[in-house]
Amino acid sequence: MEQALLWFFALAALAGGALMLVLRHPMRVALALIASMLSLAGIYAMLGVHVIAVFQVLIYVGAVMVFMVYAIMLLDVRDPSFTRRYAGYLLPGIAGLAVLAWTFFHAIGNSQLEAGTPPATTAFDVQPFSAAFLNEFWLYFELTSVLLLAAVVAAIAILKARRGNHE
Amino acid sequence: MNNTQLLLSLSTVLFCLGLVGVIVRRNLLVMLMCMELMLNGVILSLVTLSQQAASTTGAVLVFLVFVVAAAEIAIAVPIVLLLARRKHTLDADAFSDLKG
Amino acid sequence: MLTLIVLLPLLGFLLNGLLGNRLGKAFVSAVGCGLPILAFATAIAAFQSFQAAGAPLVETAFRWALIGDFAFEITFYLDRLSSVMVLIVTGVGSLIHVYSTGYMKEDASYARYFAYLNLFLFFMLLLVLGRSLLVLFVGWEGVGLASYLLIGFWFEDSVKAAAGKKAFITNRIGDAGFLLGMFVIYSTLGTLEMDEVNAAFAGPVLPAVSASLIGVLLFIGATGKSAQIPLHVWLPDAMAGPTPVSALIHAATMVTAGVYLVARLSGVYMHAPEASEVVAVIGVLTAFFAATIAVVQTDIKKVLAYSTISQLGFMFLALGVGAYGVAVFHLYTHAFFKACLFLGAGSVIHAMGGEQDVRKMGGLYRKIPWTFGTFAVATAAIAGLPPLAGFFSKDEILWFAFASEAGGQTWLWALASLTALLTSFYMFRLLWLTFFGKPRMDEHTAHHVHESPVSMTGVLVVLAVLSAIGGFLSIPHFLEPQLPLPAVSGHLHHFETPLIVASVVIALAGLAAAAFLYGGDGSRAARMQERFKGLHRVLSGKYYVDELYEAVIGRPLVWISDRIFLRLGDRVLIDGSLHGLTGLARLTAGVLGRVQTGSLHLYVWLVLAGIFACLAWSWGHV
Repeated sequence: MEQALLWFFALAALAGGALMLVLRHPMRVALALIASMLSLAGIYAMLGVHVIAVFQVLIYVGAVMVFMVYAIMLLDVRDPSFTRRYAGYLLPGIAGLAVLAWTFFHAIGNSQLEAGTPPATTAFDVQPFSAAFLNEFWLYFELTSVLLLAAVVAAIAILKARRGNHE
Repeated sequence: MNNTQLLLSLSTVLFCLGLVGVIVRRNLLVMLMCMELMLNGVILSLVTLSQQAASTTGAVLVFLVFVVAAAEIAIAVPIVLLLARRKHTLDADAFSDLKG
Repeated sequence: MLTLIVLLPLLGFLLNGLLGNRLGKAFVSAVGCGLPILAFATAIAAFQSFQAAGAPLVETAFRWALIGDFAFEITFYLDRLSSVMVLIVTGVGSLIHVYSTGYMKEDASYARYFAYLNLFLFFMLLLVLGRSLLVLFVGWEGVGLASYLLIGFWFEDSVKAAAGKKAFITNRIGDAGFLLGMFVIYSTLGTLEMDEVNAAFAGPVLPAVSASLIGVLLFIGATGKSAQIPLHVWLPDAMAGPTPVSALIHAATMVTAGVYLVARLSGVYMHAPEASEVVAVIGVLTAFFAATIAVVQTDIKKVLAYSTISQLGFMFLALGVGAYGVAVFHLYTHAFFKACLFLGAGSVIHAMGGEQDVRKMGGLYRKIPWTFGTFAVATAAIAGLPPLAGFFSKDEILWFAFASEAGGQTWLWALASLTALLTSFYMFRLLWLTFFGKPRMDEHTAHHVHESPVSMTGVLVVLAVLSAIGGFLSIPHFLEPQLPLPAVSGHLHHFETPLIVASVVIALAGLAAAAFLYGGDGSRAARMQERFKGLHRVLSGKYYVDELYEAVIGRPLVWISDRIFLRLGDRVLIDGSLHGLTGLARLTAGVLGRVQTGSLHLYVWLVLAGIFACLAWSWGHV
């Protein structure tokens, strides 16, 4: 049962990714991506890493993709890129895809990967996670807050520049 | 194949699809979304292997990648908005001012 | 003390060169003449202490370099030969310095002149007092430098500047031979100290090197410095410099450096019969050759220049037949009368307001009596009239050329005697054309003819007196312990008196011929010239040696420098390779720059290609 569910989510993620390359309207592309991300969240949940699954949905789908949808709705999409989806590099791109994919599969096929036993379910609960996060990895926590600060400043700078151009 | 191989294969396929999507699609916003797909592929492999090793280090790293992805989108989309306002198009081929 | 002798003129050079322009002519004269006179006094003192000690004085100034086991030291050495030389150099040098204060009085570059003159004296003293061939060579090059600076003293005139360059370059060609000789000496004998080199050849076992090779190589250097065939071409052109310079450098001291070198290394030449033969033959040929050219010259200084070349030939003839002391004796007397002649010529030029062509002179004996008197005495001395100095020294040379067992041959004596006849003839010709006969100058110059100041005529008188009595200083006898006279085979002894008589007759014959041809109105000389027109042309053209050198050496060199080195080597190879490099860089940049198309898709595709390449590489190598 679980195996079948895992396969289902995997195929759903794959389908979403493939659809992204094919659909014309950016809005539909965004929806395909959201579907893919939700499938991935399902996979994480099946693996027992519930924290990450929740964060995937909250942050990625709930914040990042919503922002993307706002941007798509804000802009006029009936421009040349709408009528002709693909750039000149379509064929080289597909060739590159084939080569790269073959390379990766070759690597994975040649490596020894264990089946792996699912760990104790409490390993990735919120409490151990946050304890690790704020005890061992507090430095990276602080660094990421600096990064977010930088992002805020950059956004304000862009905003000010826009205002300056208008006046 | 076992789960690990399946998930890692899925991860590489998502990564390759995202990379190729940046190469072939013309719309800037679609290119950004393909970059997000790449990031997701990498996160999947991180999670898989961290679950294998049963260490929280991997999970913490995944969380940090989320944060970075969010920050990146927060800046990239306004840049695209500004570019679109200047050239009045979202076509990537229009932005070749740095040619030569 | 020896170091002091050498350093005094150097001090004069520095003071006059650095401060002379600021402190005025009186300072320059005081320093420029005073220091050489001081050097002369010190030289006399050194000579006396050498006489008292009985052994050569050796004084080491400092150690120049220490290479392996060998130490190159700057050492000064006073023995009989160098004491004779140092007295001549400082004595005659001081007199000429005093003369220059009068001659160069109106020149704008007065301080520079005295600075260069003192510099020359410094290097010449290094040359004669040095113990090692290396120190001698430093002095050798230094006098060449000073000669170049002084010949081209009025360098604004490009002809005079070119004369200076010619002197220096011709000297350098001779120096190549000199250097090779030094290399051979050092590599086979392990030392460059000249007394040690002589000692190495004096011992019972000769060194394993050909003495003739060394002799010939060093003689090549001497031909350059002492203007022998084939490197004599610079001396006549050197007359472009001021007349006191011609007197000091190109008559009395610098050109005698070659003679000094050979005499100093007599130990080597005594064991090198082939080299000595070369020296003697070139000496006598040069003497004859230069004398024939002097017969037709019309510039007063050029006659004296060729006369100097000829007299130097006599000195080398003496060296070549083994009579080293006699050559130095002739060097001594020649310094006196040739300096007197040159300075007298300077006085004449001064009186004539710069005119040097004898065809425009004449009848000056009444107007400039002191100059005439001293000039006449010196002319008689060079012609060899007894009992003046030239008679003694020239006669000894002719005797040894005839009778010496170390290379004397009859044809050498015959050619040398013919040259003596020519010498007497052209010198009296010069005297007649300049001082006797009707004045041939224009009215304006005739008015301005005046006797020179005491600073000039006083020196002329001193030198004339020395030319007269100098023969009685028996230099060969003084030098005999160091430079032995060659042996004379017994059966030739009875030729001695007839040869003396012959040389007196020759001198008088030259006087008579000159008086005959140039006395009266000089028309007989003009008719002679008409009859021998072709010969006259060749002699006036100096046997066209300069033209030959220009055609054979000068033009091909210029062609090679232009075609091969400039156009091919410099422009095509060097510039071309640099331009090629830049062209290559530009080409590569042009090709690589095509990556930047401005297309984002291409850039990402390249990222993909890069990822693939990294993966492929890591598999091959991990």
